[in-house]
Amino acid sequence: MSHPLRAAAFTSDAERTTWHDETLWFVRQKRDKAVYGIPEFQQLRQLASDIKEHTLSRLDEYLEQFEQNARANGVQVHWAADAEEHNRIVLDLIRKAGATSLVKSKSMLTEECHLNPYLVNNGIAVVDTDLGERIVQLREEAPSHLVLPAIHLKKEDVGETFHQHLGTPKGEKDPQALTEAARLHLREKFLIGEVAITGVNFAVAETGAVVVCTNEGNADLGVNLARVHIACMGLEKLIPRTADLGVFTRLLARSATGQPVTTYTSHFARPAAGREMHIVIVDNGRTRQLGRPDFRASLKCIRCGACMNTCPVYRRSGGHSYDFTVPGPIGAILSPNIDMRQHSSLPFASTLCGSCTDVCPVKIDIHAQLYKWRQIIAQEGELPAAKKLGMKLLSSVLARPGIYRLGGKIAREGLRFLPHGLTHAQALNPWAKARELPEAPKQSFRDWYAQQAVKQ
Amino acid sequence: MKVGLFIPCYIDQFYPQVGIATYQLLEKLGVKADFPRQQTCCGQPMANTGCEQDAKPVYRHFVDTFRGYDYVVAPSGSCVYHVRKHYDVVEQTAQVQHVRQATYDLFDFITSVLGVTELPGRFPHQVGLHLSCHGQRGLHQANESEMTPVREGQLSRLLRTVDGLTLTELNRNDECCGFGGTFCITEEAVSARMGQDRVQDHVLNGTEVLTGGDMSCLMHLEGIVRRRQLPMRVMHAAEIFNAALQQPSKPVSTFVPGAVAAL
Amino acid sequence: MSSRESILAAVRRNRPEPAPLPPVADFGGAATVEQFTHWLHFIGGQVIRLAAGQPLTDAVRQLYPEAVRVASDLIPATVPVDQHTPTAVLEAVDVAVLRGELGVAENGAVWVPEANMLHRALPMISQHLALVLDHRSIVATMHQAYAAVQHTGNYGVFIAGPSKTADIEQSLVIGAHGARSLVVLLR
Repeated sequence: MSHPLRAAAFTSDAERTTWHDETLWFVRQKRDKAVYGIPEFQQLRQLASDIKEHTLSRLDEYLEQFEQNARANGVQVHWAADAEEHNRIVLDLIRKAGATSLVKSKSMLTEECHLNPYLVNNGIAVVDTDLGERIVQLREEAPSHLVLPAIHLKKEDVGETFHQHLGTPKGEKDPQALTEAARLHLREKFLIGEVAITGVNFAVAETGAVVVCTNEGNADLGVNLARVHIACMGLEKLIPRTADLGVFTRLLARSATGQPVTTYTSHFARPAAGREMHIVIVDNGRTRQLGRPDFRASLKCIRCGACMNTCPVYRRSGGHSYDFTVPGPIGAILSPNIDMRQHSSLPFASTLCGSCTDVCPVKIDIHAQLYKWRQIIAQEGELPAAKKLGMKLLSSVLARPGIYRLGGKIAREGLRFLPHGLTHAQALNPWAKARELPEAPKQSFRDWYAQQAVKQ
Repeated sequence: MKVGLFIPCYIDQFYPQVGIATYQLLEKLGVKADFPRQQTCCGQPMANTGCEQDAKPVYRHFVDTFRGYDYVVAPSGSCVYHVRKHYDVVEQTAQVQHVRQATYDLFDFITSVLGVTELPGRFPHQVGLHLSCHGQRGLHQANESEMTPVREGQLSRLLRTVDGLTLTELNRNDECCGFGGTFCITEEAVSARMGQDRVQDHVLNGTEVLTGGDMSCLMHLEGIVRRRQLPMRVMHAAEIFNAALQQPSKPVSTFVPGAVAAL
Repeated sequence: MSSRESILAAVRRNRPEPAPLPPVADFGGAATVEQFTHWLHFIGGQVIRLAAGQPLTDAVRQLYPEAVRVASDLIPATVPVDQHTPTAVLEAVDVAVLRGELGVAENGAVWVPEANMLHRALPMISQHLALVLDHRSIVATMHQAYAAVQHTGNYGVFIAGPSKTADIEQSLVIGAHGARSLVVLLR
């Protein structure tokens, strides 16, 4: 199923669409307010972009430096070429620890690798501890947003889920009460203290530390109570220096939610005495993206979700309409690298308005990349046949003024004289489902202009 | 100064009044524009659909048509943005480079080239300005709300100088209308919803006349206004200025013919 | 070839043109108690200025009159905590009173290195958290904060306000998994 079909299903609930749009627009406004408050914000974006660009240009060296420093800190570093290898490494580590359960804080990488189902199939109990992630996990759904995983749900939905799984009273929908129920439920899981998995926001080459940013404190609580910490990261998370964190921590939360900084910005470099820490560095298509000059800038992404909050299409089609781990504009430029055929409709799920590019804290030219993916998808023959043929035909008309003039006249005259029921037949003309066609005038501009010339 | 008028295909056929207003407005500002008959389209519909290769003959035709002009002026920021930004895929001959640099959105031309900062005239209505993304975020004709809270731009500045005209304060100053070229067909549901939301913002805030610098966005919004039978007129900003600006009593353009070469 | 080797080889093969590493400028900014207080309030925390000579113990007792189990190395504690303290004991702590190293005026964050935590989990597992901070150790921005910290050590956290979430309908709820409240005691 393509994006338009899933999006149409989403918008068919007009009230919920309004709510989804307004809720995310509110987040965008909070972001704006935070950004306006920092006079050097645009300079910070440039710095962040430059630091990432530099890092990508020497990524092999920084990866090696990072690994060396992490090892010196007593951390075990593992490398995974793809999702399958990543999952296998994680399972091995869990088994070696003799564990049967784990707590996991937010990690888009493990979502990308489909780690949860893999572990569950191998008899490991996985508990997502970020509230939003726990909600969607209980509902057996995918997150619909990078930062707000359950933003597609209303509090009534969450209340029902918690009633079923956590035993909250039926009809309880107060966010405060529901959050308290989750706190109590998840504390029990934290206290088991076997294995904790976290994602990684930044990996600092010069110290070997990984930085994890959360608001709930679930990453720290999980890691600091567990015997084994496994941090899973895509290889693009590297930054050279601790000083670079100053730039990125100033940008991340402001761009994401409008907060001045996340509640917890945690730096993990060495396991506590008697405990273990592992870092799994994952490629899974990233080196391929690095080799595509037009698209490698997408590797600068710090997963703030600002492009989703601002995207007028995302806000009205929901995260699940993208059917990819990372939804929204950034997902639409990452997904074709993973599977172009499956995700061929995503780069077209945009008006190319450019707002995503303008909010991106690391200045990824998202809308320009959407345009470029469209070209590649067309070249690779992944366009729907009607679209392809239509464009060839259009081109042949537009390069021939004579035929063009005739065609335009036919279209206009057709609109003038054909019955409204035919020109606006919704089965034939999607435009007319919600819109009138222009009222066709008697005379085109060129006809008017020709008359003027005659008069003079 | 030789100014070529580029009237995009759908304006030519469906909104001739916009082409006429553009022509007459320029005339009132002292510019006699020429309309080369062999013109067709900028090629954007194909390119945005991924068929840039198919669009190349159209690009070459556009350049051939307009290579002899000092300026190419169009009442559509989107087409201008396309020529400037995306004509990089054909060989960059001197002619191609010239046409890319010389192609201007109407209001950018009026403001930046003609040096006009106010347009006297009367238009006693509440006007809602729809900022088109390609004009605003692409050609930077207006401040982007992503960057700054200051709502300022070429077109809003010009509109404020018209006597009796008040500008609508919108809840969302610069959200996309959802037209998006072929997007409006392939993603019909989201496109329509985006347009409805834009129109609703104008309804809530009292817009009588909905305007903008890009007729493609306005065609989409007008389709919704008419379907919903809303008491709102949709006019291209060229139409407003042309209606407001009867014969100017004094020259409003600081443009000096003959200074073109220096520009 | 191991995955490590094949990944590094692929990175080298696809390496972009060299791009310089920019120096990070210090953008200045106000390193004031007022800014720090403003932002900590904004994110749901509280700042209390200790009067000259006011004993910390009194201030903590006033703030948490109900607290029975207090963990701290700054005031007499009712629950002794070190890095070997079992989870069950940690879990029962009502309030932890710990030393913050430096505060950040632009966002209300406080740097808490491992050495100040007694146990790594304590700042998060405790129901409430109080951080004692010298008002002279407030810096303007995160740039200055990282410059002052220099090395983030084995483990260290910038803590900015109480634990919070907005995952249900974007409604802000204070007290997700970590501390339900955060007070910075400035002296």
